[in-house]
Amino acid sequence: MTTQPIEMNDPLRREEKNNPAPDRKDAGPSRPDVSRPGRDDLLKRMKKVDPKQSEKYKQRTGQ
Amino acid sequence: MKRRIYGIETEYGLLINGDDFKYGSVDVAVRLKNHIFDKKTGVLDLHYRANDEPPGNGGFLVNGGRVYLDMGHLEYASPECSNLTDLVTYDRAGDMVVQDAVEEMGWGDQVSIIKNNVDLETNATFGCHENYLVSRAFQFDNRENLRMLASFLVTRQIYAGAGRTGACNPQPFRDWDEVNHTRKEQEQVDFQISQRADHIPNEFYRWVQYNRAIVNTRDEPLSDPSKYRRIHLLVGDSNMSEFATALKMGSTAVLMELIELGVSDPDWILADSVSTMRDISRDPDFKWEVTLRDGKRSTALELQWEMVNCAKEHLKGSSTDTDWVIEAWESVLTDIPKGPEALLGRVDWASKYWMLTEFMKAQDLSWQDPWIKSLDLEYHNLNRQKGLYWGLEETGDAWRRTTDSAVEHAKGTAPKGTRADGRGELVKTLAQSQTGYLIDWIGFRLNKEEPFLMLDPFISYKKEIRDYLNNLDLQQPYDRDSFFR
Repeated sequence: MTTQPIEMNDPLRREEKNNPAPDRKDAGPSRPDVSRPGRDDLLKRMKKVDPKQSEKYKQRTGQ
Repeated sequence: MKRRIYGIETEYGLLINGDDFKYGSVDVAVRLKNHIFDKKTGVLDLHYRANDEPPGNGGFLVNGGRVYLDMGHLEYASPECSNLTDLVTYDRAGDMVVQDAVEEMGWGDQVSIIKNNVDLETNATFGCHENYLVSRAFQFDNRENLRMLASFLVTRQIYAGAGRTGACNPQPFRDWDEVNHTRKEQEQVDFQISQRADHIPNEFYRWVQYNRAIVNTRDEPLSDPSKYRRIHLLVGDSNMSEFATALKMGSTAVLMELIELGVSDPDWILADSVSTMRDISRDPDFKWEVTLRDGKRSTALELQWEMVNCAKEHLKGSSTDTDWVIEAWESVLTDIPKGPEALLGRVDWASKYWMLTEFMKAQDLSWQDPWIKSLDLEYHNLNRQKGLYWGLEETGDAWRRTTDSAVEHAKGTAPKGTRADGRGELVKTLAQSQTGYLIDWIGFRLNKEEPFLMLDPFISYKKEIRDYLNNLDLQQPYDRDSFFR
């Protein structure tokens, strides 16, 4: 892939979204009341995950 | 904010999918490491760095960072970065260097690189280490300062934690010094906001394995020890969210500056930081109540508000990074009470919690279902086609601090403004030469020449290194016996 050198300190490169609209006014975490756009795509991605893959994840303790 | 140097070290987990893959996970890690260096993206060490780091165990990359094997894990250490945007970019570049190797080996379907910190079956843990260069004048031996830093680190997990299902109840080593002996009965935990909280039995300690501490007190500056100190923290989680990585490191750097200025408040100190860390992480109601040293009650959220307000009063306007940190810090603290969905793409534990609860609702599953553990892992999969975090980028929910083109560039080019720039120049040259070399963070030596020291991480040394290399015969074959004599 061809890449162009870029200015690494340029704050304009930030790609941030606007704050999401709050779904509740009261304090305390809560489950959203309405279905979020993109939720179905995320659920499809989740459904493809091998339900037993955690058993195959055999890691050594590191630091 | 004062000029800082930042760095992140990431130990990756490795998952072999399917039962008939020809290699085990340690063998795969070795082959991935070899592939990275075979394609000349770096140069392998020719010398022992330690007893467990023989020649060929790892090496420096053309971007100034390092890839190596550490206790069976493939690990990437970012180059030294002078600002948060570079830090996030080079952290992500390391992820992509490793993931690219998986795909170039043709193992994209069989091997998953998992950027997390815990094996949910065995509770093995592995780290994400943060590095901050501060002045030697930083009063690190002052325990009050360390306790204020510990209070910050314990409570920052409400936005820096990566989240995990279940819990681990490791017991501390009883015969070591300064161990917190508090034992907790096994308790049923569905979800907690930190991956590492269960694995930190001490408030302060110098070692990095088993007896981990909230504040690691090892003094290894990797620079001029008369001028600098490197604060090395292992208490945090690996973040998938770019926003979370930047806020975690940025808010910690800001907090250190408040301590240096002498304006941090001893009233922030917790009564028992180790047990509070676990209690916050495991609180199913996300209320995060804490007891302060003076006996008063507060919450992690309130303490963090006091800290950001202190930063606003004393540091606002001091740099672009500082202003970004204060604004981002306030935004997450404001949104935390609104619930996990309001934090999607900014806070990893909240993003994961929201996804898992939505999935459980859709599939009628409980927290104890093995599928939920597997989905927890998948949140951290670096494969963009599979990993759940990348689904948030696809839906536009991930808050970014860099770009894909910047990350691509950072895989092969060192950051500006630090000695990594000079090191990158050196490694690029050595990748095409025959000469013998010994490289470390603080300098290098070629053939029988005198060592070239790079003791100030704020200096690039690039021109000096170019001039130095121009005066050497770099095609002189490497002679091990002569080099190490």
